[in-house]
Amino acid sequence: MARPPAPSPALPIAYVVLRILIVANWLLGVAILALLVVSPNERWIMSAFHLTPSPEAARLVMGLRAVAVLGLVGIPLHYVVLKRLLAIVETVRGGDPFVAANASRLQAIAWALLGVQLLSIVIGTIGKAVSTPAHPVHLDAGFSISGWLAVLLTFLLARVFAEGTLMREDLEGTV
Amino acid sequence: MAIAVKLDDLLHDRRMTLTDLADRIGMALANLSILKTGKARAIRFSTLEAICEALSCQPGDLLQFEPQRAERERPAKRSASR
Repeated sequence: MARPPAPSPALPIAYVVLRILIVANWLLGVAILALLVVSPNERWIMSAFHLTPSPEAARLVMGLRAVAVLGLVGIPLHYVVLKRLLAIVETVRGGDPFVAANASRLQAIAWALLGVQLLSIVIGTIGKAVSTPAHPVHLDAGFSISGWLAVLLTFLLARVFAEGTLMREDLEGTV
Repeated sequence: MAIAVKLDDLLHDRRMTLTDLADRIGMALANLSILKTGKARAIRFSTLEAICEALSCQPGDLLQFEPQRAERERPAKRSASR
């Protein structure tokens, strides 16, 4: 008979890290919101970025505002990923991760990750559009092979979980 | 499911209880009960063999294909999923 796996520290660590990340995500949301609230004050932004009033500088400020709005859109997407992941970790800790709920959680995570990747591309494009030699904008955003691979893997994992759950139900109903 | 399990009839014909059968074939009473009530999703060949041996019957005596049974269950399942 297969022995139950030895308790791993990975689960409690993942649980704590995810809880911290959920709080950090909300704090990031508040910070972005604060940025959006002060961003109408163009003079303040110009001085913060050492910009001189010009059409280029105005375009840069507009671009940064758009990036902030998109960043705000990303907050609920990150929340979906983190909250669902936390629920999955809880089922693993409870010793019963192969349930239909986890398959739908992974599906939700995959859709949220897809949204994050699309946002990242739009943010990267805006960054490139407003960047000038005088005021270069370096945003850690854009098309990412590893990001899209993660989306694909998560969709596949959701399907694997759904099939695995059905197989387990069949096995449980086998006499 | 269109497959009906006739374990109840077989046990009745042989004047045997489910507990007797469970003891004879070394299987948990709960599992046999799942089979008897038609809640099982699958049956192992080894289980089928043990039951047929204990009841001196053929697999066909234990299982029966009833298409009208599936028809009866289908509307019930549909309304349950709503």
